[in-house]
Amino acid sequence: MTTKEVEQLIKKGRAYATRTKYREALIYYEKALALDPSNPETWCLRAAAFIETGRNEEALKDCEHALSLNQNYVDAWSKKGYALYNLGRFDEAVHSCTRALTLNGNDASAWYIKGVCLDELGKTDEANEAYGKSLELEIIFDMQADLKRDGR
Amino acid sequence: MKTDMPLSRPIRLFVSQTEELLDTEISLLRNPEADQNGTLVDVYTYNIEKNIILFPPQYTGLLKDFIIARHCVNLLIKGAAAKKTRYLVCSFTGDSVYKGLHQIYIDALKDEAKKAKKLPVHKLIRMLNILYTNFNNDINEFPWNPITNAIVYHRIPQIRKTQLYYLMKEGKRDMDSMMEYEDIIPRRYFVLSKSMFYARDLYLAKILPADELMPVINIPQMKKFNHLEVKEMLTTRWTQTSWYQSKIFGDAMLDIMEKHLQNIDWNAEPSLDYFHDIYQTGVNMTNHFISYMSMQGWFIWETTKHLQDAQRKKAEFEFGALKKIFGDLIEKSTFEGDIGYP
Repeated sequence: MTTKEVEQLIKKGRAYATRTKYREALIYYEKALALDPSNPETWCLRAAAFIETGRNEEALKDCEHALSLNQNYVDAWSKKGYALYNLGRFDEAVHSCTRALTLNGNDASAWYIKGVCLDELGKTDEANEAYGKSLELEIIFDMQADLKRDGR
Repeated sequence: MKTDMPLSRPIRLFVSQTEELLDTEISLLRNPEADQNGTLVDVYTYNIEKNIILFPPQYTGLLKDFIIARHCVNLLIKGAAAKKTRYLVCSFTGDSVYKGLHQIYIDALKDEAKKAKKLPVHKLIRMLNILYTNFNNDINEFPWNPITNAIVYHRIPQIRKTQLYYLMKEGKRDMDSMMEYEDIIPRRYFVLSKSMFYARDLYLAKILPADELMPVINIPQMKKFNHLEVKEMLTTRWTQTSWYQSKIFGDAMLDIMEKHLQNIDWNAEPSLDYFHDIYQTGVNMTNHFISYMSMQGWFIWETTKHLQDAQRKKAEFEFGALKKIFGDLIEKSTFEGDIGYP
């Protein structure tokens, strides 16, 4: 096994995922994990692809695996929140998103999922606060993307 | 509803209500190729079995939700029209293309006569075709924009801040569009195009209560708008520009818009009849705009199938129209070349 080989596999998987070809992405992530199961990033990437294909239980397991390798891995907390939301486990999802946001307050998706879950739990005020944060970040990212697109 | 992504509760409910009212299914899909404003691929326009709302993958939160909400409203209007009577759009035929191109040509000649540097013939011809197509697209979209936004604003209050950002962004984009072609396009059409967007911005600024749309979110890039009313935000840009003509025509268009939309009860109980009435109002308003812009005969109300067929035959229609205008000067090769206009 070489690190370069694993990196190449992850890169190919990401390229497929970007084009929303998650099944193909999964194949490459699985190959990468077979070569190097100690990389939390690969577990988290596979979790994301699992979520996109509706395999939320498997996504949850991958997130937990990633977190067992690195407790402070923001994306893993964030994806765990996403998977838990899809499974209807809103309380736990809020907890995971909060952990993600403690590590990185600029994760717009985590704020949004937290808002959605709080809303489902009937905690409207807290939900609105989370939505507000999420929107604030989304707008900043969108403005930055527009500037980049316009070549400024 | 078919989706594997989180949706805020108000939007989820709105999508479900839309499905229930129209007895149809909506799929929500992220797509890297999707337009920034999202795309609605619906059963009332295309020969497909279910409706799909596509949006760019970078939108994961409320921006995505707003795109979905707006397309749901579009779907409700189209669906109600299709179910109650017929859903028609502004299409074109060989004759109507001739009327449009001929009128633009006459107006272009008037402008060209005043110019020191004339536009080469092949560029002039390209410009006629492009302007006609642009107005066909605009007339099928622009009158529905204020209607859609007003409905979203009143029915989904939770999304208003997102809506504010969208309106600002949309307004700025439309205002900046075509600027580099200002000298190529006949003045009249440049002004009319800008006037449409001006009227839309002003109308929305008037009917969407400013206090609700105040940007309370702490975004550094939007700080300059703090403590301004939304009306001021949307109008200042226009009054500070050199397009005073656009403002005059735009004010007239705004009057048309207000006249047609003043009786809509935005909070009425949603039903097929309600959305069909809104569709009819949109059609009447569109006709009024066509008349105001002296574009009678340019377009015809027809089915979406007719429009799709017409789009396939567009080059043929254009060639026939140009033959009538320019006679034997026109050959297929005249279409070659580019004026650098999008």
